[in-house]
Amino acid sequence: MTPSASDGAAMSGDTVTVLPRPAAASRAGGLLDRLRNIEPVSLLWAALAAALLFLVAAPLVKLFVASFETQGTGAFTLSNYATAYGRQRYLDALVNSLTLGLLSAAISVVLAVPMAWAVSRTDMPGKGLTWAAVLGAFVVPPYLAAIGWILLAGPNSGFVNQAWRWLTGAEGALVNVYSFTGLALVIALNSFPLVFILVKAALDLISSEMEDAANIIGAGPWTTMWKVTLPLAWPAVLAGFILVFLETIALFGTPAIIGIPARINVVTTQLWQFFEYPVRVEVAAAYAMPLLLVTVGLIAVQKLLLGRKGFVSQTGKGGERRMVRLGPFRWVLFGWCAGVGALAVVMPVLVLIQASFAKAWGRGLALDNLTLRNYALLLFEHEMALTSVWNTIWFSAAAATIAGAIALLVAYLVNRRLVPFGEVLGFLCMAPFVIPGIVMAIGFYAAYASPPLALYGTATLLILAFTARFLPIAYANSQAAVRAVHPEMEEAARILGAGRLQSIARVTAPLLKKSLLGGWLIVFILASRELSAAVFLVGPRTRTMSVLLYDLSEAGNFEVLAAFGGILLAITLVLVAVGMKLAGRDFMLRRE
Amino acid sequence: MARITRRGVLAAAAALGGGRAGGAAAQEQQLLPHERELHEAARREGELTWYTGQMQAEPSEAIGRAFTERFPGVKVNVVRSTSQVAFQRLSQDARAGVAQCDVFSSVDQSHLTLLKRQERLAQYRPLNASGLIPAVREAGDPDGYFQVSYLAIYLIGRHRRVTEAEAPRSWRDLLDPRWRGQIAVGHPGFSGAIGSLCVALRKLYGWDYFRQLERNRPHIGRSAGDPVTLLNAGERTIGMGVPSPTTLLSIARGNPLALVYPADGTLMVPAPSGALRNAPHPNAARLFLEFIASPAYSRATRPFFAESLRPEVPPPDGARPLDQVPLLMPTAEEVERGIPEVKELWRDTFGV
Amino acid sequence: MSRLVLRGLTKAFGKLTVVDAVDLALEEGEFVSLLGPSGCGKTTTLRMIAGFLEPTAGAIEMDGRVISSPGSVMPPERRRMSMIFQSYAIWPNMTVEENVAFGLKLRKLPSEEVRRRTAEILEVVQMSHLAGRYPAELSGGQQQRVALARAIVVKPSVLLLDEPLSNLDANLREEMRFEIRRLHDEFRITTVYVTHDQAEAMATSDRIAVMNAGRIEQVDVPHLLYTRPRTRFVAGFIGRTNLLEGRLAEGEIALDGFALKVAQLADRVPEAGNRPILLSVRPQSMVLHRTPPSANGRPVLPAMVAERVYLGESWDYVVRPRDSGLRLRVAAPPLQVHEVGDPVWLEMDPRQIAVVD
Repeated sequence: MTPSASDGAAMSGDTVTVLPRPAAASRAGGLLDRLRNIEPVSLLWAALAAALLFLVAAPLVKLFVASFETQGTGAFTLSNYATAYGRQRYLDALVNSLTLGLLSAAISVVLAVPMAWAVSRTDMPGKGLTWAAVLGAFVVPPYLAAIGWILLAGPNSGFVNQAWRWLTGAEGALVNVYSFTGLALVIALNSFPLVFILVKAALDLISSEMEDAANIIGAGPWTTMWKVTLPLAWPAVLAGFILVFLETIALFGTPAIIGIPARINVVTTQLWQFFEYPVRVEVAAAYAMPLLLVTVGLIAVQKLLLGRKGFVSQTGKGGERRMVRLGPFRWVLFGWCAGVGALAVVMPVLVLIQASFAKAWGRGLALDNLTLRNYALLLFEHEMALTSVWNTIWFSAAAATIAGAIALLVAYLVNRRLVPFGEVLGFLCMAPFVIPGIVMAIGFYAAYASPPLALYGTATLLILAFTARFLPIAYANSQAAVRAVHPEMEEAARILGAGRLQSIARVTAPLLKKSLLGGWLIVFILASRELSAAVFLVGPRTRTMSVLLYDLSEAGNFEVLAAFGGILLAITLVLVAVGMKLAGRDFMLRRE
Repeated sequence: MARITRRGVLAAAAALGGGRAGGAAAQEQQLLPHERELHEAARREGELTWYTGQMQAEPSEAIGRAFTERFPGVKVNVVRSTSQVAFQRLSQDARAGVAQCDVFSSVDQSHLTLLKRQERLAQYRPLNASGLIPAVREAGDPDGYFQVSYLAIYLIGRHRRVTEAEAPRSWRDLLDPRWRGQIAVGHPGFSGAIGSLCVALRKLYGWDYFRQLERNRPHIGRSAGDPVTLLNAGERTIGMGVPSPTTLLSIARGNPLALVYPADGTLMVPAPSGALRNAPHPNAARLFLEFIASPAYSRATRPFFAESLRPEVPPPDGARPLDQVPLLMPTAEEVERGIPEVKELWRDTFGV
Repeated sequence: MSRLVLRGLTKAFGKLTVVDAVDLALEEGEFVSLLGPSGCGKTTTLRMIAGFLEPTAGAIEMDGRVISSPGSVMPPERRRMSMIFQSYAIWPNMTVEENVAFGLKLRKLPSEEVRRRTAEILEVVQMSHLAGRYPAELSGGQQQRVALARAIVVKPSVLLLDEPLSNLDANLREEMRFEIRRLHDEFRITTVYVTHDQAEAMATSDRIAVMNAGRIEQVDVPHLLYTRPRTRFVAGFIGRTNLLEGRLAEGEIALDGFALKVAQLADRVPEAGNRPILLSVRPQSMVLHRTPPSANGRPVLPAMVAERVYLGESWDYVVRPRDSGLRLRVAAPPLQVHEVGDPVWLEMDPRQIAVVD
């Protein structure tokens, strides 16, 4: 319920007339009081609304409008849609994206749910290692993982296949990364942490009494898990599934790197083709629409599926939790977790490190294959490499800061109900969640690349796009943080004489510091590896590490790529370490 | 593309063989008066942005460094990608109405003729061009809107696992089922060279050539240089349309590769560069065109096995003289008309 | 002049009117409780006084100046009030001392004075020995004392308390009740105290304003609220009572099966004759006799015990007067034992009967 001044005035109109009027003297000062007593929140509301319209609404509206425009004249047309869906190949790409999304999401669920259950509910050993694996998979950028897997599972030269042939004497390959399942698996190995985080958080909330209740009427531990525990976590599984699906269909780097050799065209690579000469933004816009529809549809389906059943324990308090004793089976689970960790993190990262020091990665570990040239090239000879490192750091920092600030202010306004229609701001903050990054980028290109703003190729454009893209994460984080600080904390300061801003600075901010810092770092890390939006918006001076990596990947020069990836990973790891130190060990993996 | 004739290039190649590094290095470090003048103006601009799809990342960066070495105070912002992606970036700039690029270089000749037709190139005939090998000079735009900056050579590369005897000798041989799962190739949607190769091979054998090629399931990358890495790693054994310089550099670094000059013609593309009319750094752009036409440029690219553009600079080691091999040289008109067609055909045939 | 005046104070959220034309005036140094069931609008009223909410209609004046009216609300920080919250709102990132000194520092007092006054007030609330602790290291009662100290140390013009004891357990609640009153006696700060616990209000307040459904039903000193409830709601909400409907005619109040003489009642009785009237008769104001008592002028009704419950401190009987449909609740000392079904004589004390509007 939002306090609304206009409503109230209308309601109590008759009450006002019978009021005993205050003394004349105080009425004379009324206007002055009024002016003095205005709070700046209304101005803030307007400013935030403007910022969000600019960041979120305008690019989307522009995208939608452009999809009906004739290039050059701007006249209304449906021909963009005709072009966008006029070829079998384009339709195939759509189907490929959807199938890939479903497959990756399904694999992610299979990988992550046992891990989440093991960590949350059982006495499995090595939980710390499992955490590290999840964190590692979360931190490695998808395109780097893709390159790692090319080195591992290239049908002829991949180390896994070489080892397989050496062990078995077989002719063929064990795994082929250049295949549909290969692509889906690589994506899943990189995305499963999303499912893990959500499911584990849900399982953490389920009281052991739920399981006890099943045990007492005769269900064994496995039946209990299947019939009681996991179904209670079902909303989280579904949410994780949808998240991975959305991530997958919006992914550009991995399909470009693996998909082309695998002969798989997907929506994102097809969108890229519409940007070939002559640049057909309008067709791209028309082609992007189904992505939007699919995501919106998915969210609706999620609501529908969850609407009927009760998942009380989701919101209920934890109650007592005991770990399920698995006996020897706990080692099987540990093996599963370790296996996923090896596939998702250890193997790709090791092989990348090896490649980064290799003259030719396919020749493996040999003294005559060792070189520092790849690093030397990047650090001393490549004009753009260090610039791009710097670009990445400051764009990401700026985006994290702006997104954090907007998110915090909106979360604050909404949570404290300071303004009418605060929820509108909150909605705008969350909206980019359902907009694939690549669609957002095209919207930004359509809206802001050209004059009057002419932001194309500027740092501003990238920072704004990153800000918009990661606003939902910042917002979810801020909301949780603000909610955790009781409004009375601030009111206590205000009634003692601190102004609103002063009380925020003296009381709220110190209390929020930790969680805001954690949120900032998450956005920073995600922005620092962002590719699908950046690749459409960079200019020659504003290339980020991810885009430069993508450029380098064109020529398939994996050794230099791996070295550059190594630098990116090193930077990320330093940040994660800083984050853990300052914001708590699990700052990246808390449920948002 | 203007009048580059097969005979002209052959003559040029012959001339290259006899060329020698003339003039003392010290003397050459001296800037010519027109260079000095442009350098002054360019220094005030401080930098230039070069979109290039010609040589690979490493030599491109080396060219940028060589330029700054010769003309201190002018930094080159090298934006290396495949030719089609470079042109895509340029088109995105134009669509957005933003000028970011000063000099544009592509293997797809039609990019420059198109830009010229759209009046987006600045007219500038470098004074240094007078010292270019005549054929190279003549291959530039007669109206002075662009000039050749790279004699791009594309042929077949093989891993030494494949002996010389059993190796394919022509593009045609690549259709042999023996090479099923062995071939790697770039993508005409990215690489200008592969686009030109498609145009040339289509003219030679018809599009059916590629439908048959698909039966051998080639590994499709993006850049023409992509297969070189795949060969190095042993992922594939035959590279189709690999750039001669990249392959030679790789061999020089000890990788087990060898070049095959196809009997039905080595692809040669006189790849052009031009300065943009709306270049944000017009003087630096002109100076860069002067640099490309100067011996310093050919010397800078020689360690990377690029063909020399100047008689003073000898051709790269290990490459065959161009007058001894049959050449495939699609004309600019063929390329301009053909590349959009073969891109579509390619995507329909290969699925990506 | 009154220190704090609420005039027709009204607050509506959308269509829901939560506070409805409340009028109330507090004298300097007075301790007034807003007492009522949850949802009666008392906390909303308090938050309007504090300046956290804007009234929909009406006004709040302090020392003759309007500080809140629709469209113009002096922000809380300029009101020189202080407040104690339900959650205590002790800042967990500051020590006890820092919490208490916060308001003084905001007033830009010299640090020497800040130190002195902080130390003094901590002494008063017996928290000196815990000055360096962080709130997480304190018990609920100790946190409450810090909240009190923090609110009082700034010598506010008005002290607001929002159900400050609701999070404490019963024993502590009783102790803190007297502590609050003691501090009030010591500092004489004009205080508005919001609670739903009538015992708390009785123990602390000079006057109590009973609120129901957004309106003030009655404002009175505690004992009058009990003995002279003016509305059916107050009569029922403050203590337990028997509400008897009757008819006033010709100097008599006719009830079900018996009548009372108006002249016997101590409470004022409306002038006009022949009208319905509602009486409140407290269970404690009636006495049960095993045999007919000697005549003392008080009304005595023969009755029968219908139900009984033993509550430890007293018996709770329900008796039915003869020839009447009434069921009256009567409190009796533990030793007065009557069996269910026993005939008894019920003696009423007309002086303790209140006429309810």
